[in-house]
Amino acid sequence: MRRCLLALCFLYLGSFLGAGAFSMPIRPAAEDTLRAATVSSTFGSLVVPQTITAGEIRTVTSLPEAIRRFSGVQIRDYGGVGGLKTVNVRSLGSEHTGVFIDGIQVDNAQNMQVDLGRFGLDDLAGVSLFAGQKTAPLQSAKEYSSASSLYLETAAPSFKGGARDNLRFGAGAGSFGTISPKAAWEHLFSNGTSLRLGGEGVGSNGRYRFHVKDFRQYPDGTVAGYDTTMVRQNCDLRSIRLEGGLFGSASARASWNVRAYFYGSERGLPGPVYKRAGDYPLSEDRQSDRDAFLQGRYVRALGKSWTISGKAKYSFSHLEYADFPELRPELQAARFNYRNHSAYASMAAMFRPGGKLRLNLAQDLQYDYLDSDMRDFAYPGRLSSWSALSAMAGTGPLDVSATILGLVVKDGFLSGGARKSALRSVLMPSLVVKWKVTDGFALDGFAKRSYRMPTFNDLYYTTVGSKTLEPEDALQFDLGACWDVLASGSRTLSFKTDVYWNRLKNKIIAVPTSNQFRWSMYNIGKVAVLGSDVRAEYGRRIGKGTVGALVRYTFQQSRDRTTSSPSTGSGTGIAGSGTYDIKWNGQIPYIPLHSGSANLFGELDGWRLDVTFFATGERFTTSANLPAYRLAPWTTLDAAVSKDMSLRSGEMRLKLCLNNLLDEQYEIVDNYPMPGFNFLFKVEYSF
Amino acid sequence: MKKCALLVFSVAAMAIAVGCSKDETTSKDSGLAGVNVAVGEKKAAFSKLFVLNEGNFQKNNSTLDFFRFSDGNYVSDAFGSMNPAVVQGLGDTGNDLVLHEGKLWVVMNASGAVHVLDAKNEILLKTIHIPDPRYIAFDKAYAYVSSYAGAVYGGEETVGRVYRISLSTYSVDGTIEVGCQPEGIAVSGDKLCVANSGGYNPVHDDTISVIDLATFKVTGTIKVASNLHFLKADSEGNLWVSTYGESTWTQDADGNWNQSMSEPMGLYKWSGTLYVVKDVHVSCMTVCDDGYVYSIGNAAEMSGGYDNTLYKIPIKGGTVIPTSLSKTDAARVGNPYGILVNPKNGDIYIADADYTGPGKVWCFTKDLKYKWSAVAGMLPAHMVLR
Repeated sequence: MRRCLLALCFLYLGSFLGAGAFSMPIRPAAEDTLRAATVSSTFGSLVVPQTITAGEIRTVTSLPEAIRRFSGVQIRDYGGVGGLKTVNVRSLGSEHTGVFIDGIQVDNAQNMQVDLGRFGLDDLAGVSLFAGQKTAPLQSAKEYSSASSLYLETAAPSFKGGARDNLRFGAGAGSFGTISPKAAWEHLFSNGTSLRLGGEGVGSNGRYRFHVKDFRQYPDGTVAGYDTTMVRQNCDLRSIRLEGGLFGSASARASWNVRAYFYGSERGLPGPVYKRAGDYPLSEDRQSDRDAFLQGRYVRALGKSWTISGKAKYSFSHLEYADFPELRPELQAARFNYRNHSAYASMAAMFRPGGKLRLNLAQDLQYDYLDSDMRDFAYPGRLSSWSALSAMAGTGPLDVSATILGLVVKDGFLSGGARKSALRSVLMPSLVVKWKVTDGFALDGFAKRSYRMPTFNDLYYTTVGSKTLEPEDALQFDLGACWDVLASGSRTLSFKTDVYWNRLKNKIIAVPTSNQFRWSMYNIGKVAVLGSDVRAEYGRRIGKGTVGALVRYTFQQSRDRTTSSPSTGSGTGIAGSGTYDIKWNGQIPYIPLHSGSANLFGELDGWRLDVTFFATGERFTTSANLPAYRLAPWTTLDAAVSKDMSLRSGEMRLKLCLNNLLDEQYEIVDNYPMPGFNFLFKVEYSF
Repeated sequence: MKKCALLVFSVAAMAIAVGCSKDETTSKDSGLAGVNVAVGEKKAAFSKLFVLNEGNFQKNNSTLDFFRFSDGNYVSDAFGSMNPAVVQGLGDTGNDLVLHEGKLWVVMNASGAVHVLDAKNEILLKTIHIPDPRYIAFDKAYAYVSSYAGAVYGGEETVGRVYRISLSTYSVDGTIEVGCQPEGIAVSGDKLCVANSGGYNPVHDDTISVIDLATFKVTGTIKVASNLHFLKADSEGNLWVSTYGESTWTQDADGNWNQSMSEPMGLYKWSGTLYVVKDVHVSCMTVCDDGYVYSIGNAAEMSGGYDNTLYKIPIKGGTVIPTSLSKTDAARVGNPYGILVNPKNGDIYIADADYTGPGKVWCFTKDLKYKWSAVAGMLPAHMVLR
């Protein structure tokens, strides 16, 4: 068992990037489209996304903390400063969520895991989540392809009172021995173009105490067990992030921006907590990353009825993973290197033939290549082509958008000494409807079918990969209602609720082949999700101050409907054959039936206080929902206080974040303990 | 981790010896009720069937269960219930289970430990630390444990070891280098034999290392086949050794890719000369006192299909009797991962592993008629009768 699983472990070693946004759910006029497409890629969307504003972002210490305030979302967090953090929307799996920075997707052809812990919060104008289909003007074809999309939007530099330069310095310090200095420079050129260069470093030993405990009750009422404190080891992190941006001045006819990004890190992989005898270390594994990308977009109006946009990106990532032989310092570590190259280009055109009709046409191309020094590596390359046609029509109260997206993927790989190829193609239709019933009340809904292509790891991982996989197939239906109960100047109260039904077919799962000790990937998983998200937001202005509250609740019944295995064939699970009946219809791993959060805030005179409460119900580590595989529910309470003030000619911002105030001991991923109480203090000065 | 482990709080374990012993034969674990899965047998030849669930690698969810013949109840996680104060329980990746002189020896691969339990009540007596242990064998004075000895996949070629544990002190008193990634281990006469897999090497190992018990030195190797796995000795002085098999990818006329086996999970018999036991596949195997080796394997393994088959192989030689499970009640078994045969009544116990969820233990008569089944832990694999 171990040999197979060792191999599997490497599969999930991820590398990756991530980063921020805001939205204005209004129907844009022709010239607005231009501005919108560069200012914000979520602008003008038919569907109103969930959004976290720049102000709210200021109250958290990391992007995943912000994202977990969305409804219908589970953050998978392996704990600590360097632990992988990914987002799973509506139980479809993190690979079905596209993460976009300034409208261009952050990719990882190797495993499709985007580590949200690697993106900075500075300069983000907002973060938006589209569960289902985003439908905005000038969308690139790829933006239609994920089951759900997370948008990180960067704010363009702003210059006050004729200033041509902004400088910003900051530093953070806090728990886990974390220190993070940062600096940024913004410059306005005479032609209106602006530049931003910035960087942030993070150093941390990552260590924290946690409890390992297990108590059991016996039939006679006695309770016995243990509760031990341990310290997380080998979880240090050193990272540096450098970013640059050029922002073209928005003219009436064209606008553009270019962005460069580099992230480098070296970290320990503490691994799961399991029993180790004697002085054996739990894990000495190390990982280092170098991620870089350069991307740009350009938007131009052509006459009255046409607008076009172009996007391009090149990205490179290098991951090195080192596995050290147990208690054998004289032996060399096993080192695995992965180099991922990716080039992407997109053209989109929007045509207004007149009236309320809008057509969006987009064509995207991408090439990915993965290089590794692993034994018998397949050196896979993938050429992908997305073609999308979208039509939007509105009659005022009723808006409809229909999209058809075609994706063709051609892989080339080395097998048995020769270069072979494989072709996969899918069609993804979607329909979005929005009906504005009254001024403050709207109904919306969508139906969408999307596919997740098998990753390079799924397909070409030596001894585990499979070359015959089909894409995962996700079908979503959603009905929602938005109700602005109060929208007066001093008070706002709104509700948003959604009911959805998702079905996942051909889910890719690793299981043994005809030989018990050879594993491979199979399209055998099926999941049926019935869910509901409810969100209520209240805000009130009192004198010079503002108070507000946000409450969200998510219900997700996500049932395992897998009935087949390669060995027993299909349809035998329910009859009590094999072991599938133990899992049939069980809640799938790691998805709580109930989860929710509440956030209260107050603002006055440059001060802002936030208190946030999260609660997640019980989860199971397998679809067999037996007590032995139960993960306990958890609740956390966070608080943040910040103060903005003028100091000499500049602005000073102080921020103190207190996380997990009640020192809750909990796990999101089995055997990866989360930190107890921790804090981060930040100071920033800009002038 | 353990360096910093600080025992803050633990509750006295034995408060749970619920059984108010009416007579001395009543075990302390008789209070563990379990789930009734079969009709109890008052005069069964054995009292318990122990099941070691391997658990998922690095999930710390290995457990020890037992089926109690007297009341037909199946008790899950008996070790945890009887040793509640043992931090992190049995540990990670149980890889072998052997009953020797009234004690259960549990080999925990990822935890780097060999636990010694009182077989009467599953109470932990002693834990011995051995890196990467795989399988265990015994002679009169010692236990011998095969070990990968720190090797990592993709690293430099690293030979494995055999650790010798004194049965009088329960501590390691010697170690010796063998081939790469040694697996099955058995004592045969005055020799100790270890099957080397070389599973981490580009070219797998194909030998059995032979160790003289008196001197604890390697005296020779027997070349068998690539990537060896199980190794068992029988009462006639034969060795039975299986392989993990080898696979390759091929493309068919329609351009579809198929993983196919180039070498099967085969079985070999060594009795001074090497014999290939023809047309036998081994996912799991056991040597039974009734004069047979039993194995279950996939007869359609080489073609990529599925035909789980029980093979009954006479120890003294003769015709192998294959029975395709699909034609019997045992068709319900999904992924046979462990097998044990009751030498008294011929009952066949099959551990059925699921990999993404709990497995099952199935009991069939010698004619493969269904008797009972129970939900086990994660990856049930190793079984012993007491």
